[in-house]
Amino acid sequence: MANGNGHITPVEVDLTDQGITEHLSHKVFAFDRRLAYAMAGLGVLFILGIIGFVMRAVGDGFSDASRHEWGYYAAMFAFLLCTAGTAPLVAVAFRWTKNHWRRPLSRASEMFALVGILNLLWFIPLMALLPAIDLNGDGHLEVGVDRRTVWFEGPIGAPLWWDMAAMIGLVVCGLAILWVSARPDMSVVAARGSGWRAALMRKLAMGWQGTKRDWRRQQAFLAMLGGFYFMLLILVHTLVSLDFALSLVPGWKDSILAPHHALTGIQAAAGTVLVTIFVMRTWGGYGRYIGLDPFWAFSKVLLGLTLLWGYFWFSEFMTFWYGRDPTEQSVIKLVMFESYRTAFLLNFFFSFVIPFGLLLWNGVRKSVLGPTIAGASVIIGAFFMMVRLYVPAFNIRDVGAHSIADFEAGVGQAIPSQLLPVTPDVWDVFIILGGLSGTALIFLLGTRLLPVMSMWETKEGLLYMLVRPLLKGRYMVLGKPD
Amino acid sequence: MAKQSVLGLYQNAEYAAEAGDALQAAGLTKDDYDFLTGAPYPEGAFGERHVSHRLYVFPFVGALCGLTAGILLTSMTQMAYPLVTGGKPILSLPPMAIVTYEGTMLGAILFTVLGILFESRLPRPSLGLYDDRITEGYIGVIVTCEDNQAGRVEQVLTQAGAVDVKRGEAS
Repeated sequence: MANGNGHITPVEVDLTDQGITEHLSHKVFAFDRRLAYAMAGLGVLFILGIIGFVMRAVGDGFSDASRHEWGYYAAMFAFLLCTAGTAPLVAVAFRWTKNHWRRPLSRASEMFALVGILNLLWFIPLMALLPAIDLNGDGHLEVGVDRRTVWFEGPIGAPLWWDMAAMIGLVVCGLAILWVSARPDMSVVAARGSGWRAALMRKLAMGWQGTKRDWRRQQAFLAMLGGFYFMLLILVHTLVSLDFALSLVPGWKDSILAPHHALTGIQAAAGTVLVTIFVMRTWGGYGRYIGLDPFWAFSKVLLGLTLLWGYFWFSEFMTFWYGRDPTEQSVIKLVMFESYRTAFLLNFFFSFVIPFGLLLWNGVRKSVLGPTIAGASVIIGAFFMMVRLYVPAFNIRDVGAHSIADFEAGVGQAIPSQLLPVTPDVWDVFIILGGLSGTALIFLLGTRLLPVMSMWETKEGLLYMLVRPLLKGRYMVLGKPD
Repeated sequence: MAKQSVLGLYQNAEYAAEAGDALQAAGLTKDDYDFLTGAPYPEGAFGERHVSHRLYVFPFVGALCGLTAGILLTSMTQMAYPLVTGGKPILSLPPMAIVTYEGTMLGAILFTVLGILFESRLPRPSLGLYDDRITEGYIGVIVTCEDNQAGRVEQVLTQAGAVDVKRGEAS
């Protein structure tokens, strides 16, 4: 809403506590035909994904010999980790910095913690596909015979069970953040609804009353859990990228891959949340809560992340390219310039060129559509990055070799067969569709239980927001509690 | 003597804050009453007592337990299988780093979740005295007092501008 002098007044100023409670509780219980159709469509696609997985599992099984068939499955897992798995960090980060504009997007980003359950299930088959560190099982680690990993020679259960434990920790932490944050809204939904959903929310709210003690503890626990989520998320990105990509490619040693992977995750998570609030605003009926502010402010963060992405990629590329080491040359040929050139170009274009080219302009940043397009772009870019990292890594059979530079091409081949690009087959396409639709479906199912807009944070925002006249204009005054 | 809960409901937050002052003037202490709100008001907005906490103790203890378990597991594994790798000492820190970090994080998270349940006294079997209008922006002032004080408390809350006053057994 413009005030006549070019200044923007946020849409939230017209809200009331009662209006927020009534509208958002109603949204949870009301039947929405469009939403029902969307969920049915997503359900069908998700079933296709399950069919794709079952066919792949029955046809190829889970063994070292069939690992190359699971490359796109692994890429999809990493992509889900980057988008839905990292999205709760958005709520955590902007709560720490006490931004007012975060309020419309906090719950939406936290709700992606529910998708963590899908991600955890997705991870189980990958455990069966990751080769042992001691490949010949002789109790000794030997270069050129066994795998070199970040786990060295220990400890018990490495890497599979430690990877799994980290994943479980991340999912539990994400769900705990969602629960602690949503308890006040659960009690409202329970009081205003009926049926099994209200009963479930009443149980989960666990007697929330809203005393000063309740609020104080909630804030403290959210801050602590947020810190742990961030610390664990970085660990999970590190472990996944090192165990399921880098250590499967003989000779690949790269200290910036894991940070680059984590950064791509944070960038994709920002894109995921931007696209989500755009959908909520445009088609979800939440326009009265989501003004221009979240898009405008978030676009600056996304621009910063995009610039960092470019810098991280350049650092990764530069050392390999300038060093002229045969192994490093082979690695960048594999994941960037030869075998997966198309995936790399799409990755670079969508993760860097498009968002940077768009968000450079103030007019684009100060809009709803511009940051959303940039957000969608970085999601696509992250997908192609995961494809170019994980599909080639899973295609290498000789994981105990000294270097991929030693691989020899067959007669009449320019590139060794293990380094040739793998194109997705129909089951891979089903699996990818299943992953995308499963994420959206779980999110939408979550909105049938909990308000996708945090009621208490929206109401809290109203306490600190005021529009006051100054000379000939009217301006928003924002309070800062501490 | 049995304890009673009295809930005064205010449409205006200023009246609720004044009710707190009136209760103190009537001889109650800040520990005897609390404010129920649908959104977190800044600390001290109602002139209420400072609520201190020691919640950080839970993750700290959990992190220490996880760290200890991680160090023990990695060092004992390396001692049990003393393989010299790359000329490095048997007990070297880099191979221990990931496991100890992960153990620390998992311990901290687990204890934090337990801390939430313990510190918030969850699960609460009953909600206690409450009014749904609090979710619509009303402010509740809930007073826990002796049976014989309840009448006087009701009077104070009403005089302070409560739109509704309820009484029930203290939970």
